[in-house]
Amino acid sequence: MSIHIHHISKSFGSFNALKNVDLEVKTGELVALLGPSGSGKTTLLRIIAGLEFADAGQGSIQFHGTDVTNRSAYERKAGFVFQNYALFNHMTVAENIAFGLRVMPRAIRPDREEIDKAVAELLRRIALEGYGDRYPSQLSGGQKQRVALARALAVGPQVLLLDEPFGALDAKVRKTLRKWLRQFHNETKVTTLFVTHDQDEAFELADRVVVLHEGDIQQIGSPQQLREHPKNEFVADFLDCVMI
Amino acid sequence: MAAIIDIAPAHSSRPRKATSDSLVSRVLFIGTAVGFMGLMFVLPLIVIFQEAFRKGWEGFIEALDDGATMHAIWLTLKVAAITVPLNTLFGLAAAWCVSRFQFRGKRFLTSLIELPLWVSPVIAGMVYVLLFGAQGLFGPTLKEHGIKIIFALPGIVLSTIFVTFTFVARILAPQMEAQGQAEEEAAMTLGANGFQMFWRVTLPKIKWGLLYGIILCNARSMGEFGAVSVVSGHIRNKTNTVPLHIEVLYNEYQFVPAFAVASMLALLALVTLILKTLTTTRRGAA
Repeated sequence: MSIHIHHISKSFGSFNALKNVDLEVKTGELVALLGPSGSGKTTLLRIIAGLEFADAGQGSIQFHGTDVTNRSAYERKAGFVFQNYALFNHMTVAENIAFGLRVMPRAIRPDREEIDKAVAELLRRIALEGYGDRYPSQLSGGQKQRVALARALAVGPQVLLLDEPFGALDAKVRKTLRKWLRQFHNETKVTTLFVTHDQDEAFELADRVVVLHEGDIQQIGSPQQLREHPKNEFVADFLDCVMI
Repeated sequence: MAAIIDIAPAHSSRPRKATSDSLVSRVLFIGTAVGFMGLMFVLPLIVIFQEAFRKGWEGFIEALDDGATMHAIWLTLKVAAITVPLNTLFGLAAAWCVSRFQFRGKRFLTSLIELPLWVSPVIAGMVYVLLFGAQGLFGPTLKEHGIKIIFALPGIVLSTIFVTFTFVARILAPQMEAQGQAEEEAAMTLGANGFQMFWRVTLPKIKWGLLYGIILCNARSMGEFGAVSVVSGHIRNKTNTVPLHIEVLYNEYQFVPAFAVASMLALLALVTLILKTLTTTRRGAA
């Protein structure tokens, strides 16, 4: 599913978090939102998910041509992975993953066996078979991250949004998960946007990278384009390469 | 309990912590605290039960087996049955409001929630008399329609609601604020609607705090004297709640019945204390 973001602005009081942002993400693309903290990247991701609403009056968001600007998060059903996982601590891993399926309207909700099967399949996919009965507090950071991902994927979202997905993990786990995500994306081709402040992560994973600074998009391009032709001084400086 | 047991380690091989006090000062502090508690809380409790059972079990039963007493107990249960659910709902709504939204006047609302703690209950009762009493603001209108609020059940319920409003909200608001709403947001992106989000995600997170608030609210609504005293009119077999009935009995020198009924309230307090301890431990564990 493609995402069209058109003239989106967002202010918190007098602070302008996003200034007239335009962005297009093609179906099946893996795009990184890269920028220093406070650049508005997380705000943009939350607006796409419907967890935050853009300033009224201007701008729109379309999911595959359908205007969703005024739809709530639960209508948009974008798979969202939170920075601190936001797992349901009172539920087991299996219950966490099954949540999205269990809250479906009765008419389209799969029956219990199908849900169990889907959960087992997802557990296998995140290499956490046998962990279904554990509680989030019994998991490591990397395991929690994968459960959060599985939970988001369980409902078969058309778009996956990841907020600093590897931010709180140590370097080694980070690398493994990065590879895993790339591979996962190659297999499923779910349109994916992820936020990061780590340029290595962005360059290694993404098809295209969006560089944000103070609520403005500085440049959009493939990792190679950015590296070779940074558009302005900020991008060059942030990516630590020389402006030609 | 832990504090009392902790006196021993002065002799043990465990190294002394930098923050721990000398044995003398510990004994002094703990002794003072325990002594004060014993004198102020435990002793009166013992006296209540002693007086209640002065004439033995039979005297106790006899004292309770009285039409006016039974009516008072029944009325108190009725008041609590109306007040507690309403204040649970109000408290939840208020806590939700304060912890989830940023709005102008939020601080004012927060201190308003605490109003019952710093306003004398008598004033709470007086306010309703001034509003709904015969000489009150809405008195004539109410009389015209034959609605009786003061010196009747509605007045008692109203003033009890006022006095006990604070408990659920005050316990839940900081808890909900501290927990944040990331899990709620996650539930929403997974397609949960508002009710599902509340029922499956928020409620399990706050259930022990909520239970704690309900227990306190219940204890206070059954034990409230001041506010109810003003609006009730002390009509025996009509508007006498348990605390008011105790006062009436005592003033009539019926000591055994007075203490027998009082022991019921004391028992309620003890049960509340036990439940409170249980929910607090659970809250800490959760």
